[in-house]
Amino acid sequence: MKNIKFIKIVGLAFVLILSACSLDEVADPNQPNISSVTDNPTEQTLNFLTQGLESKARSGLGGFITATGSIARELYSFNASDPTTTATLIGKDGVTLTGSEPQLTGTLFARYQAVKSADFILDGLEGSPVSDTKKNGYRGVALTYRALMLLDVLNLLGDNGVRIDISDPNNLGPFVSKSDGFTALRSMLDDGFTALQNAEFSFEFSTGFDGFDTPETFAQFNRAVAARVAIHQEDYAAALTLLDDSFLSLDGNDLGIGPKRVYAQGGTELLNPIFKTPQQSGDQFVVHNRFINDIQAGDTRINKFRLRDDPVARDGLNGTHEIDLYESATSPIDHIRNEELILIYAEANIQEGNLMDAESALNIIRNAYGLGDYAGAVDETGLTDEMLYNRSYSLWAEGHAMFDLRRYGRLNATFLPIDRAGDIVHTQFPIPPFEVQ
Amino acid sequence: MKHVLFKKAVLAVFAFLPIWVFAQQTITGKVTDASSGEPLFGVTVLVKGTTTGALTDFDGNFSVEASADATLVFSYIGYSTIEVLASDASTVQMKADVTNLDEVVVTGLATSIKRSNLANNISTISSESLTGTTTGSTLDGALYGKLTGVNINSAGGAPGGQTAMRLRGISSLSGNNQPLFIVDGVYISNVQLTNGSSVASGANAGREEGGSNRVSDINPEDIESIEVLKGASAAAIYGTRANAGVVIITTKRGKAGKTVVKFDQDVGFNTIQNYAGRRQFTSTTVASTFGAAEVPIFEAARDAGRIFNYEEELYGETGLITESRFSISGGNEKTKFYFNASKRDEDGIMKRTGYGRNSLRLNLDHRFNDKLKVGFSSNYVNSTAERGPVGNENNGGFSVGYNLALVTADWEDLFPDENGVYPDGRFAATNIILNRDLIDNEEEINRYIQGANFEYKAITNENFRLKFTANGGLDYFQAKTFVYIPEFQQTQRANQNGFVSAGNTNSLQLNYNAFAVLDFTTNNKISINGQFGISYLNFESDAIINQTTELFPQQTNLAQGNSFAVFQRLTEEEEFGIIAQSTANWDDKIIATAGVRFDKSNLNGDPNKFFAFPRASLAINVANFDFWNVEDVNLLKLRVAYGETGSSARFGSLFTPLGPTSIGGVPGLGLPTVGQNNQSAQLGDANLEPEISQEIEYGIDFSFLNGKIGLELTGYKRDVKNLIYPFSSIPLSSGFANEIRNDFDLSNTGFEIALNANPISNSNINWNTTLNWWKNEAEVESLGVGEFQPSGEGFSLTFGSSFIREGETATSLAANIGGVPTIIGDAAPDFEMSWFNQISLFKDFDLTFLWHWKKGGDVLNLTKLLSDFGGVTPDLDDPDVIANPRFGTFGAAGYIEDGTYVRLREVGLFYTLPTELDWFERVRVGVSGKNLITITDYSSYDPETSAFGPSGLSQGIEVSPFPSAKQVYFHIGFTF
Repeated sequence: MKNIKFIKIVGLAFVLILSACSLDEVADPNQPNISSVTDNPTEQTLNFLTQGLESKARSGLGGFITATGSIARELYSFNASDPTTTATLIGKDGVTLTGSEPQLTGTLFARYQAVKSADFILDGLEGSPVSDTKKNGYRGVALTYRALMLLDVLNLLGDNGVRIDISDPNNLGPFVSKSDGFTALRSMLDDGFTALQNAEFSFEFSTGFDGFDTPETFAQFNRAVAARVAIHQEDYAAALTLLDDSFLSLDGNDLGIGPKRVYAQGGTELLNPIFKTPQQSGDQFVVHNRFINDIQAGDTRINKFRLRDDPVARDGLNGTHEIDLYESATSPIDHIRNEELILIYAEANIQEGNLMDAESALNIIRNAYGLGDYAGAVDETGLTDEMLYNRSYSLWAEGHAMFDLRRYGRLNATFLPIDRAGDIVHTQFPIPPFEVQ
Repeated sequence: MKHVLFKKAVLAVFAFLPIWVFAQQTITGKVTDASSGEPLFGVTVLVKGTTTGALTDFDGNFSVEASADATLVFSYIGYSTIEVLASDASTVQMKADVTNLDEVVVTGLATSIKRSNLANNISTISSESLTGTTTGSTLDGALYGKLTGVNINSAGGAPGGQTAMRLRGISSLSGNNQPLFIVDGVYISNVQLTNGSSVASGANAGREEGGSNRVSDINPEDIESIEVLKGASAAAIYGTRANAGVVIITTKRGKAGKTVVKFDQDVGFNTIQNYAGRRQFTSTTVASTFGAAEVPIFEAARDAGRIFNYEEELYGETGLITESRFSISGGNEKTKFYFNASKRDEDGIMKRTGYGRNSLRLNLDHRFNDKLKVGFSSNYVNSTAERGPVGNENNGGFSVGYNLALVTADWEDLFPDENGVYPDGRFAATNIILNRDLIDNEEEINRYIQGANFEYKAITNENFRLKFTANGGLDYFQAKTFVYIPEFQQTQRANQNGFVSAGNTNSLQLNYNAFAVLDFTTNNKISINGQFGISYLNFESDAIINQTTELFPQQTNLAQGNSFAVFQRLTEEEEFGIIAQSTANWDDKIIATAGVRFDKSNLNGDPNKFFAFPRASLAINVANFDFWNVEDVNLLKLRVAYGETGSSARFGSLFTPLGPTSIGGVPGLGLPTVGQNNQSAQLGDANLEPEISQEIEYGIDFSFLNGKIGLELTGYKRDVKNLIYPFSSIPLSSGFANEIRNDFDLSNTGFEIALNANPISNSNINWNTTLNWWKNEAEVESLGVGEFQPSGEGFSLTFGSSFIREGETATSLAANIGGVPTIIGDAAPDFEMSWFNQISLFKDFDLTFLWHWKKGGDVLNLTKLLSDFGGVTPDLDDPDVIANPRFGTFGAAGYIEDGTYVRLREVGLFYTLPTELDWFERVRVGVSGKNLITITDYSSYDPETSAFGPSGLSQGIEVSPFPSAKQVYFHIGFTF
């Protein structure tokens, strides 16, 4: 009988243990969760997101420069860990691009992460308790970055278009055509510009935005980006109008003005991905010889290239110079600078038939780099060649040459040297696999 | 109530004790092998119906207190258990039984069953077959080839192991592919620690750092036996932790009788198994590969005799291994103990690599009385590993293997000058000799594992027994990791300017379970066993990694730099389960079991929702029926078992996290960047439920000629439903790197054959042999969304990757060919086979060897891809290769190789000294080897490889690993 009581007691104990053992739901102990930014974010949260957006907008530059620079024969990337850079990107043995090249996927992923940050801000504004002028501030910044990010995507994918709407990760918007894409970017920038007209900033910028950290001055950056979009869109008249409200200065001393991506040492910071240790082997950007051979005598832009102690000959590719664009791993990289605006101004004027304005703009650049005034034919062909020459040296290894050559029908073996028999020149990337489910 | 009853029980014992003692006498006898006549050492002699017992000594002699009419039960591993009347026990002969039918196998959490009644194929590894042939540094490595259904890959040959163990194929994609390891009832951690070196090497994740997994801390010499529950049908009772199987480890315990003192000393050597080889250059090939300007440099080096072989320079060392073990065990009928102290030191095949383990164990058992007993298992381990700069790379400049292949030229002079200054690597991103000599990559673990168990036999009647058991324990470890790269190293200079990463992980795992166990026997030979219990576990870990860059010259201290980063990763897991199981046994003829476990876990979306994991099994011992009259077949068992297990998501899968991202000191938030704080930009699922594995296993077992030959045939089909996985083929344009999904089904189908035999047994030779054959096919049954590259299981499709596509095997390898993801191989072997032999010659010699044949299984040899791009692969001057360049012609598909191999995994020869020495009871000397012979067409280091550490799929992709080593040992052992 006692045994039965004993069993009953033990049984009761089990029942007690069962009912007492309720497990607690765990909150993420490691980091903030997305719900903190999507559910009526506070001003502080919006500020962190906006500051995070500036940070995100500088990511993914290494792959972008490697991809565009290699395809446009600006440089060879001898990568310490990815040996295919000198094969796939340069079309070795006729190899075609597949869209899974890490330089493309890495760039796209970084751009869309920034776009997602912008969307977090834009989506959160509705329910946020901040003032309307502050909301306009967030909106203007978010839309400007959003367009800047998507422009790189659209340029890399070319005729394959661009995906603009990513608000629902399980139901992403369509890839719109190239021309619809440019139109969407322009209206995104215009909306941002409008918002900035009646805006207040309560967040911080890095020192890279010194001079562009108020709604008025950030709006000039917005217009500069819009002008860049306009020339890709071949809407040259609009480009000239947009430049009016940008920070364009037709003064050779102001070439470097513009907002910058800044880099720093530290755990959540990034280092300048284009800087390579001088004379380092294995991991190096080697200048394509055409830039050494074709440079005009006296052009001080030769200083962007450093003579190597040890010439490079690998994978059938040769080079004598390496990149010398940045002083250190923490040197900033321009988002867009006045030098490019002058070149946009020149290009738009050539296309609009204002050849004299174009020539004088080109001379500002030439003179700044130790060259005399332009002496060639003042006609569309001559000035276009001169404009492209200056773009190629002024913006070398900054992610422009591939698209400039393409815009003018020069991204092909007729205009570019083929270094190894069998190499081909790519013109655009396919949409990566898995983008369209 | 409880106390009163307990006291009465104690009183009752004391009341009867004097009478019981008076009736005793000392029974002595000798136990020998029936066929050879050799005395048997260590046979357990138990007085039937009591807990009194003894062990035989080296001469087979025993003495035990028993009444003259008592029955003695003699049991010994590998022999049939026999019962002899005490009066007839002066000479006892035992017959070998290679089928181990009488062996007791743990199947429930609180119950066990005789092997002959098992409905599952449960492999048991004894200490003899685990470590009897040769020693190895790690437990999991010592298991391969010894049981069916197991596949083991190694992330590299660095001392200390980095082993991925898979039971019956693929169970999961999200990391729980490693079986659950339980040591004496304690759930132990088998995590792979990250050391932060991926921040310097740019490897995609901590998994690629090649750190060891923590089961390596368990000293293989402490193990008495290992039971492996390979699938859900056997492991269902372990619920949501058992999807990948369960490895139940029982450590050695003291036995009543003479105190046994043992000392063993091993000395061995590590050498590389196989080199990938280096290209032999001529002036012509230097010119075509490295340019004409390089030719004079090459020729000057050649003429000066300064052409090196950097592969041999790195991996050509002979590493000394020493291991000492000291144990004392003994006790009396009330209290028994086992103590072991061991020390292992191992140098790797590369300078400045090695492994050390100091282990202390004390196992204590105490019996209060016939009803109550307790047991304790305490183990302290200190282990250290120096793993060298190895692993995958993305930034360049860290991994010696990577930079050897891409690309170090053998005519470079990389050795330091008289001032100790190392020249830069001229082609690679680093000087690999500098990396070897000056980069540190170390880990040190201090670990304490404590188990405790309690058993109270409340009622012990003839027909009804009730007992309560409780056991539990803790596994705590503190791990330190340290990585240092000097500021003057090639890739550090002008970038980070030196790198120190110091990690500190604290991990505490607690678990307990409590059971009531009922045994009920009816008059018509039916016995029914029931168990009901609860199980609880709580795991916590806190991993902090501090990193400093911009170091002051020559400084290795975290504080002596100018830029700091800190990472912290916390996990909290809590689970609770209720278990009920019942077995009905009709006279060992028909044995049926049914059970269910209900589990809840805070890893699920709803932490308090119970999920049910049922099981049922049936075994029919045809040979035990009266109609059976085939004399030579003493066992014919038909069996079928069904069971379900689960696996909850990895911690953190419920969340969609943000991460810090700052710019020039301005703090910001955004989606996490790749690998930041070991957290990817994951789109979590707050409503996750566990993935479910459903397995049906069926088989037929035979034992012929009284156990001289045993044959087990087993088939199974395991469906894993609602697999949880990070879907990494989510569009990049979503901004997320992966999405946690719960909608992928796969199935594993397999077949296993185990043949045991004792073909020769006479006074001169005794030969036991085991032939195992097994195969598994994992197929992707259905996918919720499209096909995908499993997260972290490969690089871009340009280089090839594991790939999940409906209708294909789950172990497929794919590459992007012409823009189309194309299956280029299958990492799973066609089948595996092993042959294990133990031969005793002339009583004094013991020869054992284990051959292992893995047929098929593709390996993606990315080491060769790297060396092809570097131009240093040895066969690049082969006309066939010139005509059909691998990458140019086939892309990544050009690097798929057949991973078939035949390997002499273990071989050992031991000699027991014939003379009786005064000081020693026994002296045994031996020589043994591990992985001495490998026959394979695979062209790189080792076909048994994985670049991705122990979790996930871990298959068939090689990227410049730490090459595998082979070992030769000399042993001497004394028993006092």
